[in-house]
Amino acid sequence: MSNAARTFIFAGLLCLVCSLLLTAAATGLKSFQERNVEVDRQKNILRAVGAVDPESRATPEEIESIYEKKIRRIWVDSAGRIVSEAERSKSDLPLYVYQEADRILAYVVPINTRGLWGPIHGYLAIEDDGSTIRGFAVYQHQETPGLGGEIEKRWFQENFKGKKIVNQNGKFVSVAVAKGEVKEVVPPEKRRNYVDGISGATMTGKFLSEGLADILAEYEPVSVCFRKNSPELTP
Amino acid sequence: MATAIARPWAKVKKSGSYKAVAAALWRENPISKLILGICSALAVTVQLKTAIVMFLALTFVVGFSNLSVSLMRRVIPRNIRIIAEVAVIATLVILADEFLKAFMYDVSKQLSVFVGLIITNCIVMGRAETYAMANPPWPSFVDGLANGIGYGSVLVGVAFFRELLGSGKLLGFPVVPQFLYEWGYTDNGLMLLAPGAFIMIGLFVWLEHALLKEK
Repeated sequence: MSNAARTFIFAGLLCLVCSLLLTAAATGLKSFQERNVEVDRQKNILRAVGAVDPESRATPEEIESIYEKKIRRIWVDSAGRIVSEAERSKSDLPLYVYQEADRILAYVVPINTRGLWGPIHGYLAIEDDGSTIRGFAVYQHQETPGLGGEIEKRWFQENFKGKKIVNQNGKFVSVAVAKGEVKEVVPPEKRRNYVDGISGATMTGKFLSEGLADILAEYEPVSVCFRKNSPELTP
Repeated sequence: MATAIARPWAKVKKSGSYKAVAAALWRENPISKLILGICSALAVTVQLKTAIVMFLALTFVVGFSNLSVSLMRRVIPRNIRIIAEVAVIATLVILADEFLKAFMYDVSKQLSVFVGLIITNCIVMGRAETYAMANPPWPSFVDGLANGIGYGSVLVGVAFFRELLGSGKLLGFPVVPQFLYEWGYTDNGLMLLAPGAFIMIGLFVWLEHALLKEK
């Protein structure tokens, strides 16, 4: 057998063995991984509303039971009305509400936007006044660790707490990531709408700000309902 | 009494496995002596837990890649040997990554790309190319494990001091007593950043070189 043929046969066999191993591992472990991802998603919704501590050591079962009790998933149409599961259409927006003893304390907007290197997925929780941010959590992104990747860190997410999505006159302006520290680069009257930026991650901040503005604008009818305290969303 | 204890040790000391482990841990430590695999050592040593998981993942990969490369060393065509080694290593790394995602999701999220980057870790590639290609399977396997342990020993050492000094915790549990904070002790924020790891690794390298010189 010629040398070239041997090389090709060896390469082919090696690839086959490696791919079989990887396929077996990927399919065999899929159910475990999917559950982890789901629990992580639930944990991040709970983190956004402040129902679990970011550093809590809650087990997956505990997370699932808290989630089951306190979070309800609903769909609303573009006017901010709840639509039942049967009459749901594609244009309706998914929304999570956080309730304790039948009272809605906050609502959670899923944030799916682009980052510098790939999509950023997270949750933004807003208080029942429809304008104050209760918390922010990112559960999936592909930003550079140490730079844009800081969006998953606690210090960055804590920044959002208490910020407003409306300006002083109550008009919707969204919340944005500043280019640097808020107290240095943002004039005092606008500080309520900005969070501290990440140095070395200007683009990630820019994309996140744009994404938040677009998504929050889309959910504005819901926020308006909460601001007016409309009975539409109370259970 | 002393001789009775010393005797089994003497036998162990003569074995090839012992020599391989001892060399990798000390005289030829991949990180502090050969300065290999520094990138991940800087990145994953903020916490002890991630360092330990990284240590286990790398030891698994380097051990089994050495074993498989050594088993195939007579059939690997020379012209594609590097590609073959990389294929083996990459497969093992992805296996390790899938396992972490399935059973240690939180840690796997924290390690993010660094598990994947084991593929390019110079230690793994270096051992496969220089040792496993020329030695029988068992010594190669031991050599791989030994180098994994050598890497891990520095990693865990660095992570121990970084977590202790940087956040006052070990494995996530607070260990610095509250009254020290009340007396004005503060955690060293530098230790949480990459430069902190640089300084720590530098001190380890210095310590090892100084001790070896004395001998």
